[in-house]
Amino acid sequence: MSKSIKVKDLTVKIGERTILNDITLDIPHGQWTCLVGPNGAGKTTFLKVLLGVREYSGSIQDEGIEVFRNHKRNVAFVPQQPEIPTGMSVAEYVSLGRSKVEGWGVESARSRSFIEEVLIQTQLYGMHERQIAQLSGGEMQRALIARALAQEPELILLDEPTSALDLHHQISVLNNIELLKTEGVTVISTMHDITLAAMYAERIVVMHEGKVLLGGKASDVIHSAELRTAYDNRINVFTLDSGRPVIVARKEEN
Amino acid sequence: MTSDNKNQGVGIGQIWNWQITAACALILIAVAFLAISFGPIHLGFLDIIKTLLGMNGLEGQQRTVLLDLRLPRMILAALVGAALATSGAVYQTVFRNPLADPYLLGAASGAGLGATIAITNAGGNIYGWLPVFSFLGATLAVLTSFFISGKFFAEPNTLLLSGIAVGSFATAVQTYLQQRHSNALRPVYSWILGELTVANWSIISWSSIYIFASLAVLISISKKLDGLLLSDEESFSLGINPNRLRMIAVAAATLATATAVSASGLIGFVGIVVPHLVRGLTHRVTNRSLATIALAGAAFLVLADLGARSILSPAELPIGVITAFVGAPFFLFVLRTRRVSHS
Repeated sequence: MSKSIKVKDLTVKIGERTILNDITLDIPHGQWTCLVGPNGAGKTTFLKVLLGVREYSGSIQDEGIEVFRNHKRNVAFVPQQPEIPTGMSVAEYVSLGRSKVEGWGVESARSRSFIEEVLIQTQLYGMHERQIAQLSGGEMQRALIARALAQEPELILLDEPTSALDLHHQISVLNNIELLKTEGVTVISTMHDITLAAMYAERIVVMHEGKVLLGGKASDVIHSAELRTAYDNRINVFTLDSGRPVIVARKEEN
Repeated sequence: MTSDNKNQGVGIGQIWNWQITAACALILIAVAFLAISFGPIHLGFLDIIKTLLGMNGLEGQQRTVLLDLRLPRMILAALVGAALATSGAVYQTVFRNPLADPYLLGAASGAGLGATIAITNAGGNIYGWLPVFSFLGATLAVLTSFFISGKFFAEPNTLLLSGIAVGSFATAVQTYLQQRHSNALRPVYSWILGELTVANWSIISWSSIYIFASLAVLISISKKLDGLLLSDEESFSLGINPNRLRMIAVAAATLATATAVSASGLIGFVGIVVPHLVRGLTHRVTNRSLATIALAGAAFLVLADLGARSILSPAELPIGVITAFVGAPFFLFVLRTRRVSHS
């Protein structure tokens, strides 16, 4: 096994409420790990801990060092509900990501050509002078990913990157995320659609009520009892002829 | 990564072009010369330059007009214009609201109340105390807004709402005082419309310190301010501490606004129009334009003041009337062309 982010006894409390409860987990570098589980399981909080904006107890170590508390890693974040600046052009928006690498307001020739490459990669080249607020849902999500790419992150956190998109755009966005991974970036995402999660992510972590029920290879986790438990046995897992799993909600029988 | 499609386009170009900033500086210089040259007594450009350089230039009455009337008035207009435009741009960024203006957090109503107290109590010597009281009023109102909103920087909108409440309260007290001292109505009203006729070197000396200090802080953080246009989590991921940055930005912008208001009364519209003009014409939202917005604000107000004292010469129009009269249609024009160009 290659290097990994080691989470040990991670607990997050907000007031009296325990949001994450004693989580211990290994997240391998250079792979796509997807957090699944019902609403309120603590998936987004877990991403925010890695981003360094939530207080926590326990430890999260990368190469033996506690790095996430002090933003010592270049971590990109793609939120579920981003703030879209009024009147800002796509090029301007994507270039915000460069600030992490080159400093705020620095415009080097390398930076500009890097942004161009990123725009091409995310199929946004040619619409870079359009206002970000005027993009469609799928284009907007790609712009968010483009900004994260421009940041040249070591780790990218994506909160429900496909939740508001139709199937066609979901695939396009997920393909873009997959590109990140091929460049050695560690990807951690949350996703409601477990079928898609199983298609793209190498590893799946099942969360339920602030705990991790199971984490492991996607193919193993999909067929596990823990996944069914997380969803109160309200899911069915089918396997297609190609061997690909499909997860569907089970209709309640009276 | 592939670059196959790259040649199809022309590249993304620069995000901010500093030639625009240089152009604004040139416009400001030109407008400044116009403003000190024109008036009931015409002063020649060459004579003005010679006098300012200490060579044999203007003498007697003309010299007095230049050095004691027009020059301080032009400089004050430039200072106030720069302060209001920059603060407006910063508030719009911090509150992620394109309609935010520098008076939003109660600075205007606080200054108004302070000025009213000065006018109703000072008797004859109004102008000695007026700037002091309006400055205190503006600062106190903004501090109260901060205090009331509690965890003020956790949620920008809470601060905004408490600013509105404090502003309404100060306006109510001001109206009560005006009703009790009806003789104060006229001077208060004329102050509210804004005036630069009071400009003198003493006002410039203290106001320039505060305004330059605030602008220096704001321009030094201007590049990072772009991070505040995103959600707090996103700005964290780009290496910014949003709460700290917001606090510095709001404090500096408020100091600039309070100073501008106490030096020249309430001059509306500059804080909204100028940032939108610069952003609209350049198609850029970035706060890297802050220095340009300051220069444009200065030029805009110097020009507006020239209009205010020329149109009904020798009588004067309140400058607030000019800023709205000229600013509003131009503003609408830019909004319209901008929308068309994007549709």
